[in-house]
This record gives sequence, C-alpha cells and structure tokens, in this order.
Amino acid sequence: MTYQTVGRSKPRVDAPAKVTGKALYPGDITYPDMLHMATLFAGRPHARVLAIDTAAAAAAPGVVAVFTAKDVPVNEYGMQRPDRPVLCGPGSAKAGGDVARFVGDQVALVVAETEAQARAALKLIKVEWEDLPLVLDPEAAMQPGAYQLHPDCPDNVTCSYHIRSGDVEAALTEADVVVEGVYLTPVQEHVYLQPEAGVAYIDAAGRVTVEVAGQWVHEDRKEIAHALDIPVDQVRVIYPAIGGAFGGREDMSVQITLALVAWRLAQRGIRRPVKTIWSRAESIIGHGKRHAMKLWARWGARQDGTLVAAEVKVIADGGAYCYTSNKVLGNTTLTCTGPYYIPNVSVDTYAVYTNHVPGAAFRGFGGPQGHFEAEGQMDKLAEALGIDPVELRLKNVLTDATPLPTGQPIPGGVGLTQTIIAAAQAAGWTQDADGHWHKPADGKWQMANDDTQYPIPNTQCPIKRGLGFACGFKNVGFSFGYQENSHARIELRGGTEIEEATLYIAGADVGQGHHTAMAQIAAETLGAPFERVKVVASDTATMQNAGSASASRLTYMGGNAVRGAAAQALVAWRNEDRPAVGDFKYLAPKTTTIDHETGQGRPNFAYGYVAQAVRVAVDIETGQVRIEQFISADDVGQAVNPQQVVGQIEGGVVQAVGYALLEDFRTDQGKVLTDKLSTYLIPTVLDIPEQLASIIVDVPDPNGPYGARGMGEMPYLPVAPAVAAAVYDAVGVRFDDFPLTAERVWRGLREAAGSAAGPVSE
Amino acid sequence: MQVEFELLMPKTLSEALTMLAPAAERGLADSSTPVMPIAGGTNVIPDLRDGRLRPAVLMDVSALDVLRGIRRENDLPGGLPGGLPGGRHGGGFIIIGGGTTIATLLTDPLIAQHAAALRQAAAVFANPLVRNRATVAGNLADASPAADTAPPLLVLDAEVELTSRSGTRWAPVEAFMVGVRKTVRRPAELITAIRFPVPPANSASAFHKVGLRKADAISVLSVAVLVECDADGLCHKARIALGSVAPTPIRARAAEDRLQGQVLTPALIEAAARLAAEAARPIDDLRGSAVYRQRVVGVVTRRLLTAVVDQARKVSSQFFGESPTPEEQSHATQSHHTQS
Repeated sequence: MTYQTVGRSKPRVDAPAKVTGKALYPGDITYPDMLHMATLFAGRPHARVLAIDTAAAAAAPGVVAVFTAKDVPVNEYGMQRPDRPVLCGPGSAKAGGDVARFVGDQVALVVAETEAQARAALKLIKVEWEDLPLVLDPEAAMQPGAYQLHPDCPDNVTCSYHIRSGDVEAALTEADVVVEGVYLTPVQEHVYLQPEAGVAYIDAAGRVTVEVAGQWVHEDRKEIAHALDIPVDQVRVIYPAIGGAFGGREDMSVQITLALVAWRLAQRGIRRPVKTIWSRAESIIGHGKRHAMKLWARWGARQDGTLVAAEVKVIADGGAYCYTSNKVLGNTTLTCTGPYYIPNVSVDTYAVYTNHVPGAAFRGFGGPQGHFEAEGQMDKLAEALGIDPVELRLKNVLTDATPLPTGQPIPGGVGLTQTIIAAAQAAGWTQDADGHWHKPADGKWQMANDDTQYPIPNTQCPIKRGLGFACGFKNVGFSFGYQENSHARIELRGGTEIEEATLYIAGADVGQGHHTAMAQIAAETLGAPFERVKVVASDTATMQNAGSASASRLTYMGGNAVRGAAAQALVAWRNEDRPAVGDFKYLAPKTTTIDHETGQGRPNFAYGYVAQAVRVAVDIETGQVRIEQFISADDVGQAVNPQQVVGQIEGGVVQAVGYALLEDFRTDQGKVLTDKLSTYLIPTVLDIPEQLASIIVDVPDPNGPYGARGMGEMPYLPVAPAVAAAVYDAVGVRFDDFPLTAERVWRGLREAAGSAAGPVSE
Repeated sequence: MQVEFELLMPKTLSEALTMLAPAAERGLADSSTPVMPIAGGTNVIPDLRDGRLRPAVLMDVSALDVLRGIRRENDLPGGLPGGLPGGRHGGGFIIIGGGTTIATLLTDPLIAQHAAALRQAAAVFANPLVRNRATVAGNLADASPAADTAPPLLVLDAEVELTSRSGTRWAPVEAFMVGVRKTVRRPAELITAIRFPVPPANSASAFHKVGLRKADAISVLSVAVLVECDADGLCHKARIALGSVAPTPIRARAAEDRLQGQVLTPALIEAAARLAAEAARPIDDLRGSAVYRQRVVGVVTRRLLTAVVDQARKVSSQFFGESPTPEEQSHATQSHHTQS
C-alpha cells in the first residue's frame, strides 16, 4: 500500500534537539540547590548483612543523610515477582531482606552536597558481613540438597515451561536422521551509551517525581509506589532523552532509590532535588544481563527433509532475582524448535536462581538463545540429509496454515517464506527447474586476502571462507495471557483545517525512533502534514499507560492506539469540537497462558520474521573471524519509517555480531571481572560487517497499524547461528558455543585436528 | 572517582626540569612528593580515577612545543654516544620529540619512509581520539608489556633521552623498561626524545598486533620485525621484538641470531618463528591464554618475516643488485624519498 506519511523516511522528531545538544539525558539534568546520591553496592555475591554502621558516613563533610534497608517501607520489588530487596540489610520490612544475593545488590544510599562527598562517605560505612555459600552452577542448583536462594522457589527454579505435542520418542525412533547437540550461549551486557542516572524531587503537586531513563514510565511508577507504600498518583515518572535501553532498563535501577531518598528527605523538611549517576562499572554490575543458557537438543527428520520431531531441554542461569526470567524463558520455549512445523515436540525449559548478576530482558528476550540451538540443529540436519540449508528451511517453515507446537497456527500474514527467499537470493542462492535450491559456488564470491587493519601479507595467509544461513521469528508483545494494551490521546487545534495535532503518548523513545513513528501514524490517520504533529511523551502526570518499549511491541501497540485516538479525534473535529480530542486505549487480540504440563494455548497475537545470510573469513592460524558480508531480510509488515527500520536492522545485526564473535562477560566466584569497557569489549566501527544489506519484506500483519508488525528484535535473532554456520562452512568445525573469539576458534580447530600440542606454526 | 592534585604548567623545558628537580635541590624543605609528568594523560587520568596513581603534583608538559615533532639529524651535537648499534646505517638518526603524539607518527614522512613498523603500530594504537593525545614518550613511560610502540622501537634499536637539570643520558628502549610499569627513569628526569638510527634502504620493518577487536584493544600479543638483507636474501641484520608476552616488551635474540648472516629461506624463517615463540613467556589473563599467545607469536613472526624479507630483497635488487655501500645507500634513500 502507498500512504501519504507512513512508509516514508520522515526526519526524526527528536533529531534537532539531540544533534544540537539541547536534549537532556538524565545525567545532564541539573537543578538549583541539588543534592547528590551515591549507592553502596554489596560487592559480595552472597552474604548476609549482620550490621551496618553509618555514623561516620553521616558525620562526613557535606553528607545530608544516609539511608539503609530500615528506611524502605516495603523492602521488595520486581517487575514479575517482588523477590529483590530495594536495600539489603538489617531492619528490613521483609524477611530475607538482609541478604545480598549478587555483587550488584544495594546496601546503603548516601546523600551529600556534592557527588565527591557522597562517594567519599560510602567508604566510611562499616558493614559487617556473613558470607553465605555460593550458588553458581544452575544445573547443580536444581539438585536436591542445593542451597536455596529463595525459600518459596524449590530447587532454585524461578520458572519453567513444558510443551508436549505428539509422540517424540516414537517419532525419533522412526526418523531417518537424528541430530543432537548441546549448545551453550553466553551472558551479554547491554552497554547502552548512557549509564543509569536520574533526578528526583517533590513536584509542585506534591508528587514524588523521578526523571530517569527507562522503558515503561507507568511500570516504574507502580514499582516506586509499591516500595514506598504510597498510592501511584503520588508518584510521577518522566523520561527525558534516553541513551539506549535494549531491555536493560526494563527493571529498576535508580528509580526506587532516588524516589525513596527525595521522599524521606522531604519528610525531614529537606525539599531539594537529588541526582545520581552510576559509573560504568556500577552500571555493568548493577543491571541485569542476557541469560546464559545451556540447551540440549535431539531433532529427527525423514530422508526427504520433513522434520518429524524435536526434543529440547533448556536450563537458563536466572541469576539472583527473577526480573523478567519468565518472559525470557517463554520466548526461549517458543523459539527453541525454530520457525518450523514439527508434529512431535517435547520442550522443557527452566530458569534457575544463582548468585550471578540477574538474567534480564535483552533484545530478543530468550529468542537468540533458542534460535542458536534450533538453527544449529537445522544446519546439522541439512548436512546429514544432504539437502541445501535454504531448501530444508523452506520445506518446513511455518505458514499461515501450520500450527505451532503450542497447538494453533500463528496469527495471519506469516512472511517467513518470503524473507528466506529474499535473503537467499540476495546471497546468490538459485532455484533450479525442479524447485531445488543451490548454494552459490565459492567462486562467485572472492574478496582480497589483505586486511587493511592488519597488514598481513597475502602470501601464506590461510584464510578460509564460508557462507551461513539462518532464519527466525519472535512474538510481538508480552502476552502469554497478559492483555496487551496501549493508550494514546490526540488534541486537534485549528479552524477549518488542522493547524496543530498534539499527540500524548507515554511510550519510551529509547533511540529507536518511536516518537517519530507515532507522529507519522497520527499524520497518516488525520490526513494532516507530518510537521503539524507535536509529540508530548513519557510523563505519567499527563498521560496514560502506553506499555513498555519492549518485545518489539511499541510500533504495533502504540501505533494502534495512536491510530484509534486519531480516528476518534477526527470524529470530534467533524463535530466541530475545538480542541477536538481523541482518547483511545487499544487492546490487542486476546492470548492465553500456555498449559503448564502440555504447553498448549495461544500465547501471542502477532509475530515478526527474519532470514539472514552471512559470509565470513576465518584465519585458521590465529582463529580470527571476519564478517565480510551480511544480508538481513526482515518482514516488518509495513515499514512506517524505512530509514528507521534499516537503522534497527543494522543496529540489531551489529549488536548480535558482538554477541556472536566478541562479547565475553567473565565472572569468577560471582564477581564480575569485566566491569569496564576496556575489558568488556563491544564491536567498534571497524569490527562490524564490511557489507551489510538490509532487505525490507512487507507481508502485512492483519492487525498491525497500516499492516506494520514489530521488528526491533528480529534482526538480532539468527545472527549467532548464521555466523556459526558460516564458520563451519569455512573450516569444517562445529562450534556449539560462542562468542567465537579468535582463541575459541583456534582451540576448536586444533582440537579437531587432534594436534592441540602440535607444532608452533604449520 | 574525583582526585585532587596540584597541576604545574611549565612554559619552558628548563622550567619543567626545575619543577621536576628534587625539592632539596630547589631549596625547598620537603621532598616527599615527586612530581608526575603528564602529556596526553591517556594513561595517567584513568590511573588517577582508578586509584592506581596518587600523585600530589602533576606537571603538564603538553605546552612545551620544543618537545614536539620528528626530525632527522645526521650529526648529533656532541657526537654519537658510545655503545650505539654499529653497522652500515650511516644515515644519521631520526629523533622523535618527547611530546610527539601517536597521531603524528601516522602523518610524518620520515616515519612512513624509514619506520614502517612504528607507523603500523600507530595505526592500530587505541583509537583516533587517544592517538591525538597520547605521546610516544608516554607510551614508553607507562611501561605496559602491551605498549604498542615498544616492539617497533626495539627493532629500530631506539633509545630514550632522559633529561634532568644535571644533564642528559640515553637509555636503550630495552634497558629503559625493567618490569611491568617500571622504568629506569628517575623522578627528576623527563623523557625529552626518542631516537633511532635511520635503517638502511635495504631493510624493511613491520608490526602486527593481535587484539580482541580491531580498534581500542589492548594487544593479546604483538610482534615487530626488522630485516636488512641483500638481493639474494642474505641477512645482514635481523630484529624481532614481542609485546604482551613477558613482563616487558622483549627482543627474541635467539631468533634474531638464527637469521643473522644466513640466506633467508622459508625454512629458516620458520625456524626463527619457532625460536621467537620459545622466547615468549606469556601468562593467562582476560585477553588470552599463555598457550594461544605463544603459538600465535610464532605464526605472526613467520608472516611478518616473510613479508619484510620480500620487501627488503626487492629494494635491494631495485637499487643495488648487490649489497650497497653506505654512499650508494644514502643516495638511494634520498631518491626513494623524492619518489614518495
């Protein structure tokens, strides 16, 4: 479809303020007479706080107040389960609130005239600790007799899912080919540009107000109100510019502590704004990470390539607290059998408490982990069957008619086949007259051996090249029985024509361009020029709940809300209301939980689809892997703003390339070894794929606004398995774990050659 | 973390040396707080923030223009000090001022022509922002085993000029760094220059760093090599230096000796690469294991030697056909310079 505003790369509404430096991120905000807060982190992975002596800190120069667990009215929080103390220590209002369960647990808050004074006073706080046994291995933590980190969760299992469909054992017995694998996926840190920061104060209406970067203002407000034990309407949350999120701001960081401090100070008659900024090291230990997972898989197929059975078991390291482990694991549960129709499925997934930094939301939730196993299995099956990997996928891929292992077809407009064909053709695959797909011959793709960054001579530089393919899918929205909803309000002003449309939406623009996309949908629906739409966003005092910037949901959900509000406003406009107001809450199609024993149900209302091809060069003497070409075809339904869609594809691929090749989060006995950006390395501009082609596929979603479906996470999903497949194609060694750092590849090659102790350079 | 310190900003070298001089020498009572020189600050500032460094007084030398720049001198004032590597260079010295930034190495024609290894190290040094601030002298003064400029300077037989109020001394780079973050610089001394003899035209050098990523990465290992040979591949001089595989950047002397006076065949290069790997004494750390470092040092050494031998032989046959005399070589160097 062709529209006036939707489908056009309109300039971002937030760009002028950001490029001129006018936009303030939370760390940039200052107010007169402002105080500063510093946070004392536990620094111990599992220990009970026996006593805290804050007297010296309270008496230190410039210190205004010191707060501990006893100052928190309801000392618990957690988006999905309130299992984490706001502050760990004695006098906690909740049993178990005196125990720190990971290094980033928080113990005390110091408020002082300057940041330096606040931080200096932290060192004067005397904490008496009793170290407790460490729970570090999720498999061991599930065994009888293991130390229980949360008394209400037997065997340390945070949550689990199970799918039973058909008869897996019988089908695997009858299958012509069965492939197995044990896959390990690593932790990943979000590394958003802007570390956690915020300012809290009591606003003119007497509300405890926090200006902070998050992903969901209304959820932040709810969690603050719960911990402070005050009504939500006495709390206000505002998001200024947000310096990235990627799921890492889904859970609370400084929101509750800042609110607590401003509120307690006001009770003492001190009405001064309080600011805090976490250092990068505090950010890295202080917020959750992508779950490390171990996935066991056994898949079977007939000789003709028809998938008949998949058996998968997953154990995820949930870390110290639940955070969104249930949502993450739900996505792993649905994606660990891939985007394929498989009649016999058995899936068991578990998230397990440990003393690691909590597993949390991160672009794709558990989808990247599920896809690494599922697409790894498909690559192995293709090889075992002698069938081209693209052809094998096309043969089994989900369509509008085929059911998921949860029992029902996915909602209409399934664009998987189109994305697979688009990516494969762009990479050089061809289909013959008999319908068979053929991988491009190596000769079609040769690049120079020299690397501008590393001037290794061409001679004797054994570079092996390979081509890999993978595809994926993921739900849009949280769902699993949660009634997804989003609210928007539009006010139209003018005489005969709309001169200004003010859009109120609480959705967080975390850098993805949400506010621009919403303005485009408003303009399209109103038939008004894009430039006349003014976006007012992310303030709980003036707007209702739009839901989270998460799960690829905001364009879909917020877009439907804006479209509804605009349509309503137009009716009022025609009735000559001035201003003409539209106020609309969009409710997504209903979903259900999945049955705890069988997994049957309708967990989601919409999905997004992706397929990718990647060409790598592997230096077999050093193990270094270079991505020379990357192709990502994404079914986005309808690109509201194509430039922003390409930005999301490129950003998702680059972030996942870091996950696949580079990012290596290390801990030792629960302590984080890589708490700096000099030790936790993410890709630089020189490390990203040399060529990156984004292909937009547009199979409309039946319920999405103007056919749009969510897409922010999908480009991330198949990257790691596609890269692993390409490395296998290049060197003939399978890597079922990653990141594929040079040393890991080098070791794998030597182990495969049986010459780990061989000559220095052969 | 915020740290308080006093900042001195000398306007002349003599003023700087006076500030560095022991308090007693300056007629002051207390000599307990040595002055820490700071140029680009790309090591000092992070060290201050992390609490690894607690100087009470910093002295910013970045305003001393006299320390900046790269020049060539055929006759050093006061003559050549004893103990310099001999040989057939005859082409004078290249002198890198103590305040010269890494970025300058990338644009300087003398470095481009005579010290490819140093230029290549500069190209992969941290990131462009750091390269604009960090100095060669600071990189050496920091004495990290992973200092990127150290292996190239080792193969170039470079020396460090240490200047204090009481005079100047030269220390070979190899002797300058004595341990992890330890040098022979005395508190009263400032690094005022780094110099190395202009390598003969029939030589070539190269550097390669294996990092976990392509920029802004501390090396897992690094190797620099320099070979001087004639058109037949007869090696007159060989230098091999390794980074990040010992407490300091080191020379692989056994590997060098294996090449010296021999015809540089692939088999000989392979043998030298093995000796270089044996010279490495790496440790396991976050960036890589000892065994990986040791093996890949061999790989990189072989590759670099192969490349530089090829280059040096080409230059030899292009200009001389046979081994050059110093006069011929000086001429060749200049004509090459004109061409470039």
